[in-house]
Amino acid sequence: MTSNVNPMSRREVLLSASAGFGYLAFAGLSTANSEKLNAADSTARTTNPLVAKDSHFPARAKRVIFLCMQGGPSHVDTFDYKPKLGQDAGRGGKYGSKLMASPWKFSQRGKNGLWISELFSEVAKHADDLCLIRSMHCDQPAHPRAMTQMHTGNAQFVRPSLGAWTLYGLGTENDSLPGFISMNPPPGGAQNFGSAFLPAIYQGTTVGRNAPRGPLARILPTSQQQLPDIANPRLSDQSQRRQLDFIQTLNKQKLARDQHHPGVEGVIESFELAFRMQDAIPELMDVSKETADTLAMYGIGQGDSDSFGRQCLLARRFAEAGVRFIEITHGNWDHHNRLKAQLPQTCSEVDQPISGLLADLKRRDMLKDTLVIWGGEFGRSPDAPNGDGRDHNHKGYTIWMAGGGVKGGLSYGQTDDYGYEAVVDKCHIHDWHATVLHLLGLDHQRLTYRYAGRDFRLTDVHGNVVKQIIV
Amino acid sequence: MKSLFNAPGANMPNRFILFLVATVISFSLSLISLHAQESLTPEQLKFFETKIRPVLTQQCYSCHSNDGQGVRGGLIADSREGLLSGGESGPAIVPEKLEESLLWNAINYQDFRMPPKKQLSREIIEDFRQWILMGAPDPRVADVTNLPSRLTASDIEKGKDFWSFKPPVLPATPTVQNANWPKTGIDRFVLSELERQQIEPSDDTDAYTFVRRLYFDLIGLPPSVAQVQAFVQSWSDDREQAIGREVDRLLKKSQYGERWGRHWLDVARYAESSGKEVDMAFPHAWRYRDYVIDSFNADKPYDRFVTEQIAGDLLPAKSDQQWTQNLIATGFLALGPKTLAEQNPRQFQADLVDEQIDTTTRVILGVSVACARCHDHKFDPILQTDYYALAGIFENTVTYFGAVASQRVRRASDLLVLPVADLSPFDKAIPTTELTQLKVDLQQKRQELFEARRAQRQGDSGVKGKSSTTARPANVGLLELQIGQLVNRINSVDERGQPLSFCMGVQSIDRLRNARVLVRGEINQPAQEIPRGMVSVIGPSDIQILDKSSGRLELARWLTSRDNPLTARVMVNRIWQHMFGAAIVRESDNFGASGPGATNQKLLDYLAVRFMDSGWSVKNLIREIAMSRVYRQSSKHREDLFLQDPENFFFARGNSRRLESEAIRDAMLAAAGQLDLDRPRASSIATIGQSIIGPGGVALTGRLATETPAMKGPPTKFNRAKSLPFGGQRQLNRPTSVTEIASKNRSVYLPISRNSVPRSLEVFDFAEPSMVIGERETSNTSAQALYVLNNPFVIEQSDAMAQRISRQAASTSDQIRAAFMIAYGRAATPAEQAASNEFIRRASSPAPARSSGVRSTDPRSSSALSQFCQALMASAEFRFVN
Repeated sequence: MTSNVNPMSRREVLLSASAGFGYLAFAGLSTANSEKLNAADSTARTTNPLVAKDSHFPARAKRVIFLCMQGGPSHVDTFDYKPKLGQDAGRGGKYGSKLMASPWKFSQRGKNGLWISELFSEVAKHADDLCLIRSMHCDQPAHPRAMTQMHTGNAQFVRPSLGAWTLYGLGTENDSLPGFISMNPPPGGAQNFGSAFLPAIYQGTTVGRNAPRGPLARILPTSQQQLPDIANPRLSDQSQRRQLDFIQTLNKQKLARDQHHPGVEGVIESFELAFRMQDAIPELMDVSKETADTLAMYGIGQGDSDSFGRQCLLARRFAEAGVRFIEITHGNWDHHNRLKAQLPQTCSEVDQPISGLLADLKRRDMLKDTLVIWGGEFGRSPDAPNGDGRDHNHKGYTIWMAGGGVKGGLSYGQTDDYGYEAVVDKCHIHDWHATVLHLLGLDHQRLTYRYAGRDFRLTDVHGNVVKQIIV
Repeated sequence: MKSLFNAPGANMPNRFILFLVATVISFSLSLISLHAQESLTPEQLKFFETKIRPVLTQQCYSCHSNDGQGVRGGLIADSREGLLSGGESGPAIVPEKLEESLLWNAINYQDFRMPPKKQLSREIIEDFRQWILMGAPDPRVADVTNLPSRLTASDIEKGKDFWSFKPPVLPATPTVQNANWPKTGIDRFVLSELERQQIEPSDDTDAYTFVRRLYFDLIGLPPSVAQVQAFVQSWSDDREQAIGREVDRLLKKSQYGERWGRHWLDVARYAESSGKEVDMAFPHAWRYRDYVIDSFNADKPYDRFVTEQIAGDLLPAKSDQQWTQNLIATGFLALGPKTLAEQNPRQFQADLVDEQIDTTTRVILGVSVACARCHDHKFDPILQTDYYALAGIFENTVTYFGAVASQRVRRASDLLVLPVADLSPFDKAIPTTELTQLKVDLQQKRQELFEARRAQRQGDSGVKGKSSTTARPANVGLLELQIGQLVNRINSVDERGQPLSFCMGVQSIDRLRNARVLVRGEINQPAQEIPRGMVSVIGPSDIQILDKSSGRLELARWLTSRDNPLTARVMVNRIWQHMFGAAIVRESDNFGASGPGATNQKLLDYLAVRFMDSGWSVKNLIREIAMSRVYRQSSKHREDLFLQDPENFFFARGNSRRLESEAIRDAMLAAAGQLDLDRPRASSIATIGQSIIGPGGVALTGRLATETPAMKGPPTKFNRAKSLPFGGQRQLNRPTSVTEIASKNRSVYLPISRNSVPRSLEVFDFAEPSMVIGERETSNTSAQALYVLNNPFVIEQSDAMAQRISRQAASTSDQIRAAFMIAYGRAATPAEQAASNEFIRRASSPAPARSSGVRSTDPRSSSALSQFCQALMASAEFRFVN
């Protein structure tokens, strides 16, 4: 509790910083002297909690774009080729219903000949960048809890989401933007971008809401929701800047009177960030300056793929601007019925946009340190209880990743002959979390937060990094 | 087999609590105790293996086993125990009793139809008949293991020596060198520690700072200008008397209970919806909120307060009014977040009990016993068997939280009817003719559902040639919803159509049993049975639970015993924390070995014993703290302290603190002269009944039902357009949020949906309503800055405040003076006065500046004044107390 560091040094820095925002100046300084200063001043925790932090070890990925396919996409019709399922179609499956062959053709794609279905013919063009984890499994057979487990590791308690943990671990690289953005989060999924016991600053900022389905679509507007309170309804920028300067004058006078007050410093900085965000966000979300070629790459303006294409493009823009964790949710993968008609439809909404995203990231040399993730909360059964539809299947399914230090053109793990259960190199959701954090340079066992007397982590007491898929 | 939907019973004794069967599904409490495995004869074994097991494996496991595609209806068919305890509708097998065995019912296609696709052959059904009659011999029994504990009895004894597990004793009053400084016992304990550390206490703060601190701490509101001026005057006359009088005045105000009740609601994870994946409204939760506020205002002894919340339903009541309050109090156990989408009722029940144990022990004892669900506690000598001893108590309790079943809500629940009608404006009578019609509608919907289910079972071929118009599978979900709402509505009134009052809460069950240890906490891995009881390492250890008692009243007695080492300490620590912004035990929910311990244990114990001696009076304790010199210290920065005790562990100065979200919003309303101090009746969430709350706080189900042509009859309470007391006209064509409402009431009365917390609260670190929050975050985020700069609510209050000060004062300079007094409770400094003047001048007009002092009539200048007022509300000082 005692220290020989002169505490005045910090205050002097604060008061003399020409920018006036001592807190920023100190944040920079604290990286060099953090330990010493922290010892003297444990209030250092109130320095900007979003400042970019060192990872535990060198990171492969600097940021994440998580394409979350809510509803459980059928792995056996997309990325998990099961020839035996075709041969034995019509026979009784594991739980009584008849096995159903995939109605779609698979072919070998890329240098390593990854088997990919024709439903993803555009994504398949990037086969050499894809790392298919075909042995995923989780503990939850129903959607909401499986979604929760995929995002927080724990379906029972409210726990921080993967994005919140990432932001907590790494901070952000752009101080004009939120560090964790969740686009179109589904209703009722607040936990999936929540920070739970982590400080609220790490929770995801939501942009847009998922277009509701069924009767709900009639009562809920599908408008693209902006960030709340991002613009003043009355004042021009200039007037608001004048008001802000006045507020900051009051704040700085208070800071001078109080001499030392990390809370007030935090307020001062929060106003500057907010003002920058007001500028940056609308500009960032305005894609009108993108070339026609780029828009086409993402499938924008091409009917079915327009909406998701725009979101993918936004994701790239956010990533480029330094947002640490970006998630886009795309719903409607719950194909219990009318699989033959509906699955191609859903795939066509995302195939071109995802392909465009991968190509665009590559073109900008960003894929190497951007981890792109595709997957749902579980997969679908090889059998078809309703004739033309598949049931939930949480014991074996596929998630793929690309870029960010994963091996491209790789198929990792296997399900059984039909795709019911992961049997070779099984990858539980905890293992996957551990691996994602590892790619970000974070040790899942060291990334902890103390709450209620216990050090909590994303993977609880589980999780093994899947080293085999890392470059 | 009873019907799935029962209307309320014909005779309703109004003095008794009625358990409404508003549910599609009732709880499965596996009441069947598991008999030790009798040995099977070879014949029985052969019968089972050849005739029964193959059928179960092929026909049932896919939907009814832990290895299959889920546990439909909560039934697990792959073990003897699973069949005996059954699923959500009851036991599948009652040995030797065909009529009570639901499996027999189902395979004969009576009320249930299993397997759904094709009925079993006559021969197989005959095999099952024989098998059940012979007692359903079944070798599929997991060995009942006796899960040993890693901890021994001597570990427990040793554990009792840990400081917080030993009951507090009144420490001797320490002597101090600086004998002039202390005014109270608290001061002596603090000063003694400071002298030991060679730290000087801080000077008293000034009267302006003190009165603002005191008002926010005691009632959560800023003092008015007149109150500041009066206090400053009496402070200069006689400081002690000034404080004493002010404290007494504030403790008598109803705003006190609103402030301190909210602190309790933080730890009680209070909310008005289920949260999690399906955010089902709890339209009666507000009764618990009001109960808590009233209890603090009445200075209900804390031991009584705790007892009512844990076992109010079991307490003798002198009057129906008291009984009503006792029942509402048990809402504490019912309010937690719930995964209503959980398909497996046994998992749901286990998680519910777990949440109750976790909340109860952390809130009241400051230790987490829930850690021991899966294994012995890692840090404290708390055994896994301790957990299941407590679990037994809660398993003998039915929790009534109120939820209507639907495709999304798999876990429905009833509510308790209050013995005394206490109607809210949203409880409406139903004319008897309409009530009769509703019951007719209900019958019809049930019939339609029955047909729709049958059609669904028959798959795509269901529609062919059938006359039924409802036979499309898609209707099942909607029908379930409509039926749930009809039942809900019918049950909201008595036989004569008069509205009933409900609350959330708990009741004990009649058929008592103990819990069994679950290996790794997994419901399908039960081990030995554990007698109901308390946590061994925490005294008093002489509380016995009789066989005929659920144990909940005994639990309350244990928690509130003077010999319980934790209860008083934990509460005084919480109170201290709210008065100082930092607690004595810094992690206020963690008094265990992994916690930080007390920075001044003698002080803590002194407070705890005084607290109990005063009859557990919270107001007494707050008064003693407010009168202390410790509380009066300046929060001014001191270099020496900054070196010696940067965290202010030893309380040698005040802590400058960010206000809570409620206080910030209330202060804005107060500054604007807009605050309505009346308590609103109920809550805006009460207006939507048991609906699901969707994005943006829009109620979903009512609207869904109204939009469906199939829904006949007069408008229900769910869809009737009406003006709401919370402002705004509810329109049928536009979704109205029940969480983002225009309210000028105190923030404690804002609706709290777990998934849609009002923005004014959420943005300033509101307590996450799904968790026990002993200490809130105080972050500084850009979202807060955007909120105070741009949010319409803030702008409205700025306008109102501008109008207020322009009525009070004519010249800009005087307006500025008035505004600083209102917003900060102090005069502006010359520099602030000058900067404000300059800002208003420049904001008023791009035209040549007017000299200050000119009466402002230009509308643009009123907007400049509004911008100025907004700036004061947005500034750091507005949201901090020193």
